[in-house]
Amino acid sequence: MSSEDHRTGEKPDHTQAAEPASAAHLDREILQTLQEVMEGQFPELINTFVNDSEERIRNLQKALATRDQESVRRQAHSFKGSCNNLGAVRLAELCQVMEDGGREGKLDGLEHELVNIQQEFSQLKSILNTLTE
Amino acid sequence: MNDDNPLTILVADDSATDRQILETIVARDGHRVISARDGREAVEAFERERPDLVLLDALMPNLDGFGAARRIKALAGESLVPIIFLTSLTDTDSLVQCLDAGGDDFLSKPYNRVILQAKIKSFNRMRAMHSTILDQRDQIGRHHEHLLQEQTVAKQVFDNIAHSGCLDSNNVKYFLSSLAVFNGDILVAGMRPSGSMMVLLGDFTGHGLPAAVGAIPLASTFYGMVHKGFTMTDILREINGKLKSILPVGIFCCATMVDINFQRQRIRVWNGGLPEGYIRRAGGDPPEPISSTHLPLGVLSNKDFRDDLQTLTLNWGDRLYLWSDGIHEARNPEGEMFGDERLKQVFLDNEDPQQLFDEILDRVQEFIGKGERNDDLSLVELLMDQPERVNAFAAEAERRSRSSLSEWSMNFDIQPSSFRAFDPMPLLLNILVEVPGLRQHSGKLYTIFSELYSNALEHGVLGLDSALKNTPEGFAQYYELRQARLDAVDKGYVRIHLHHSTDDDGGCLRVRVEDSGPGFQPDQDTTRHGLEQSGYSGRGLALVEKLCDAVRYMGEGNEVEAVFSWRIDV
Amino acid sequence: MAITSTLSNDGSLLTIYIQGRFDFSSHQDFRGSYESLAKPPERYRVDMQETTYLDSSALGMLLLLRDHAGGDSSRIEIRNCSPDVKKILTISNFEQLFDIQ
Repeated sequence: MSSEDHRTGEKPDHTQAAEPASAAHLDREILQTLQEVMEGQFPELINTFVNDSEERIRNLQKALATRDQESVRRQAHSFKGSCNNLGAVRLAELCQVMEDGGREGKLDGLEHELVNIQQEFSQLKSILNTLTE
Repeated sequence: MNDDNPLTILVADDSATDRQILETIVARDGHRVISARDGREAVEAFERERPDLVLLDALMPNLDGFGAARRIKALAGESLVPIIFLTSLTDTDSLVQCLDAGGDDFLSKPYNRVILQAKIKSFNRMRAMHSTILDQRDQIGRHHEHLLQEQTVAKQVFDNIAHSGCLDSNNVKYFLSSLAVFNGDILVAGMRPSGSMMVLLGDFTGHGLPAAVGAIPLASTFYGMVHKGFTMTDILREINGKLKSILPVGIFCCATMVDINFQRQRIRVWNGGLPEGYIRRAGGDPPEPISSTHLPLGVLSNKDFRDDLQTLTLNWGDRLYLWSDGIHEARNPEGEMFGDERLKQVFLDNEDPQQLFDEILDRVQEFIGKGERNDDLSLVELLMDQPERVNAFAAEAERRSRSSLSEWSMNFDIQPSSFRAFDPMPLLLNILVEVPGLRQHSGKLYTIFSELYSNALEHGVLGLDSALKNTPEGFAQYYELRQARLDAVDKGYVRIHLHHSTDDDGGCLRVRVEDSGPGFQPDQDTTRHGLEQSGYSGRGLALVEKLCDAVRYMGEGNEVEAVFSWRIDV
Repeated sequence: MAITSTLSNDGSLLTIYIQGRFDFSSHQDFRGSYESLAKPPERYRVDMQETTYLDSSALGMLLLLRDHAGGDSSRIEIRNCSPDVKKILTISNFEQLFDIQ
């Protein structure tokens, strides 16, 4: 079910592939709980996440280029984990696809998924930045 | 230690984001946080800081969570350090892998603060319990160690007292576990100066130290008395009295005691509470039982104690078997007991009596098979044999020929100052009972001495006349006068001379009592009829005459000599 | 107390307990236990359970009791003797005069 981030009035994005079903970028509840826990350190956390994620994406690129399926799996799995913690559900789903591909050894077509991930991530980045202003 | 103490918690996750979140959650809860970025760092941090709890990401570079978990558990050793795996893994195989690696629980992403708090609390409780268990285990271990040491000491004390006596004589075979005393079983054997062998097999109720405690006075009493020539009934009474007084109600000693006279081919038996023993005659007839006819030792007070013995003839070559209930109660793997029927069957099946002892043991061991090992088997075989062939007998005869107190004499001279204050009887008697052969006659000896002494003192020194005792009032007056004269006496004496000698069969004691009085002429009537008349006095010397072999009156009648002889092993 | 005594409820039996040595030193107490009764009992029992020893003067004292109790018509039991005590009574043929067990 598509939802909008009402604060910024962002439009829901479109993916090129048919799946995933969910179009939500962020689970508001999770994020809210996180904000409560982190309190004043919330902006720092977002920063960490952003930097982390950028590195993950770089690592995935490298792994795909060298056709290192184990690395693909691990990086995607890890990335998925942090996404879940942040409530970035859509990004997490995309990572799952990447992870499955890596585990099964089906690396063809995963460059395509990586692009999706990059796009989703940049959208998420904007959303998150507004939260920390 | 309550559930909410601040802990030191190690967080290991390769994702900086996840790590940061977790660190914050944990710190918010008041705990101290240590971070690691991969498995290797996690192990190093654990070694350094020894946290109370570990949160470990399953998949990490440089030694993943599973490897780190194994190392950490190994480092933790005995103490419980809970490891909670952080994972997005959901498939069963992976979760099982986590547990196999030593993980105690999971926490899934996204991290739920409330759940994590609850898990920390729960594990804290578990750690406290675990710590208590270890402490208690250590305590139990120490107590057990202590108990073993005490038992070792007790065994040494016991061994010092319960030296094997004559258990290694060639007519004795026995089987007793080395820790038998802690099962309550005790076997003692010693030679009497007369040449007979006394054996006692005992089975105390209970196990461990309480059972062993009674064994010590029993053994020390037995060995103390046997060598001094006390009779079987004396020894049984003494042991019974001691055990009755020191053991709590409900703790007692089932026992069989035997006195074996090799020369007369005769045994005397007392069985209080042990299973019946068997006699196996050389001829091969069915075994004859020796049943328990008394209560065990330590149950009855000495006045109620029954010391009657069974006397049986055993020919040379006949054997006597004694056991505690360990043989009857030995169990096979199916839980059945060996029982009397099987035991009797071993006797019936036996052809060569020399093998019987081993056959009994073999049959029981075979029966037990792989069942519970039984340390309670106690078995004794006593062979009735010609004295010359029993080496303990020879050893004792040798010892006796070298022993003291066989020929001696002693004089006592009692003066006026002593008459009032000093009764020489107990002293004399104490000396006499050191002579093995005289001890069992202490009652008679006391009577003999008392009568001779009071005769000498009252008639000889104090000059009292028995005729006064013809009426009830006179009787009273006589003793009042006795006391008055005794208080006033300032001259006179009583001399006692003792002489004792022994021969192969026994010994002879001569007692001569002389007083400072004018003497009297005991006429035949006075003494011979002394016990048959109905007067209130005059029996003293007549009693002495009855108890002794001979009594002579010498000097002016102020000297009396009594001869008392005793035989070995009446 | 070396010599104690109890009278049955109906006054028919006097039991005298002798503790320790029964010899001339017991004389006064022994006599005192039976002479002072208002009504003489029908039977007497001398309980020697705790008696360790008796000498010839004690034999005399038993006879005094017997005479006091009526001589030949007296009914006196002696009970619970130890072997040594019994021996002295037997040698003295006292079972002819007393009921001894």
